[in-house]
Formats: sequence, C-alpha cells, structure tokens
Amino acid sequence: MTREEEELVEAAAGAWRPRDPRDGRVRAHPAWLDLGEQGRVRAFEEGGRMRRLEAAVDPEGLSATGRAVVERVRRGGRKR
Amino acid sequence: MTTTTTTTVVDLDRELDGIVAGDPDAFGRWVAGAEAPLRATLRPMAAQVDCEAVLQEALLRVWQVAARCRRDERPNALLRLGVRIARNLAIDELRRARRVSVQEAGELEAAMARDAASREGVAGVMVDPLLRAAIEECRKALPGKPAVALTARLESAGGDADAVLASRVKMRLNTFLQNVGRARKLIAECLRRRGVDVMELIG
Repeated sequence: MTREEEELVEAAAGAWRPRDPRDGRVRAHPAWLDLGEQGRVRAFEEGGRMRRLEAAVDPEGLSATGRAVVERVRRGGRKR
Repeated sequence: MTTTTTTTVVDLDRELDGIVAGDPDAFGRWVAGAEAPLRATLRPMAAQVDCEAVLQEALLRVWQVAARCRRDERPNALLRLGVRIARNLAIDELRRARRVSVQEAGELEAAMARDAASREGVAGVMVDPLLRAAIEECRKALPGKPAVALTARLESAGGDADAVLASRVKMRLNTFLQNVGRARKLIAECLRRRGVDVMELIG
C-alpha cells in the first residue's frame, strides 16, 4: 500500500462523516470513495478497532461513533 | 498482566422506555451496547459501502423510530430493529451507487442476514478496568506528535473533519494522518508488550 493509500485508510477509519446539506443524511467519507476494495476493508477493520479502543477508555463506554450520534441527537439534529 | 474483555448477553431493551420518552442518556447507554453488533452486521459490505456512514445513519434512525419498536418474547427488540435498518440502508446505498450487480447485492444481503442471525442477543461487552488502565498508560507513553494527533481525534469524537483537527494542532493534513496511524501502531505494540490480546482489541 502506498503512503497516499495509507493516509486514505487512516482518514476513512476515523469516525467523522460529512452530512448531506439537503437532508442531513450521513454520507460516505471522501477518502473512502477514493479507496479500492482492499483499502476499504482495511479502513473498516481499523475503524472498528479504534472504536473499541475509544469505547474502552470512555467513561460512558461510547466510541467516537457513539459520541457523534448521541451529540447530534442532543442538539436536536434529528427530529422525531 | 492479564486483561480481558468479557462478552455478556445483555437485553438493551431495558433502555427502550427512556429512549421512547426522548432521553438522550438512555439512547447513549443503548448505543454503547448496540454499536459493536451493528457494525459487525455490516462487515460483509465493507468493500462496497462506507459502513461507518451507514452505521451512524442507522443509529440516528433508530432514535427516530424507537417508539414503533414492539417488545416480544426475545431480548433486544430494538437492536434487531437497528440491524434491519442498517442492512436496508446498506442495500439501498449499494443499489443507488450501482457498485454491484443485482445478484451480488442479493448475495451480500443474505450474508448480512446470516451474520445478524448468528449475533442476535449478544450486546454487551464489559471492559476489564485493568485493560482500560493499560490503554491509558500506553496512550500517555506516546511521543509528542502522535500523542497530539490522537488526542485531537479522541477529543473531537467524530465531530470534526481531519482537516479541521490538523489545522487546530498546526499540522498538515497528511502529517496529521501519518501521526494518527503511528499512534495507533505504537499503542498496539505497547499493549502487546503488556500481554493484551491486541488482535482482539485494536490489532
């Protein structure tokens, strides 16, 4: 894997995701779109491990994914 | 040091009434237990859809539709609803992007269904306090720039794009990403030296 691909994997393994400005839906990471199949699977695996690490040290057991979603709910980002 | 993560069968529906009443804390407790099994359900689609995005969207939709969830004789009715939502979102995304043929989409859907069935009811992971302490110690032992980059990621908790975080800590984006990767590898090596099963945890 090239250094550029490694950086794309690292970016796609993070929990931040853009939102569609039209409907607020969570969208794919731009770096994920630039990856091939092998890189995408690696980003999935690395991301999952990072989320477990984040959850393990979080006082409420939430990963960055969980924090991002719950924070959005708290701010009223998704109405019922 | 011997550290373990213990998987236990937990009925996350204990949070359902709170979630339906609009309590974000109850939803947070549910998410803490539901995220890992929901993520695992999406694994067969990892090469075709951005599972992190699908997972976040699925969790938000669970919050929106939780009031429609009906308990039955089995545990984790809301988790089962979440699995269906996540699978349907992933399939919709596949079809929208036309990344696979109709036949391949059907095969992936079946693989996710098999995986979800095998995981039903598994929802809680108890983290050993010794493991938590080991991770914290390994994090504190990180050298300067990897420590700064990883801390920025952890503090942001998915709230900011890496370009924003990189700018905040005065790094170029590619340097920031290299430092996050380096931090992850150094923590994995540190945990391995402490006898932690890193393949089980962070690889």
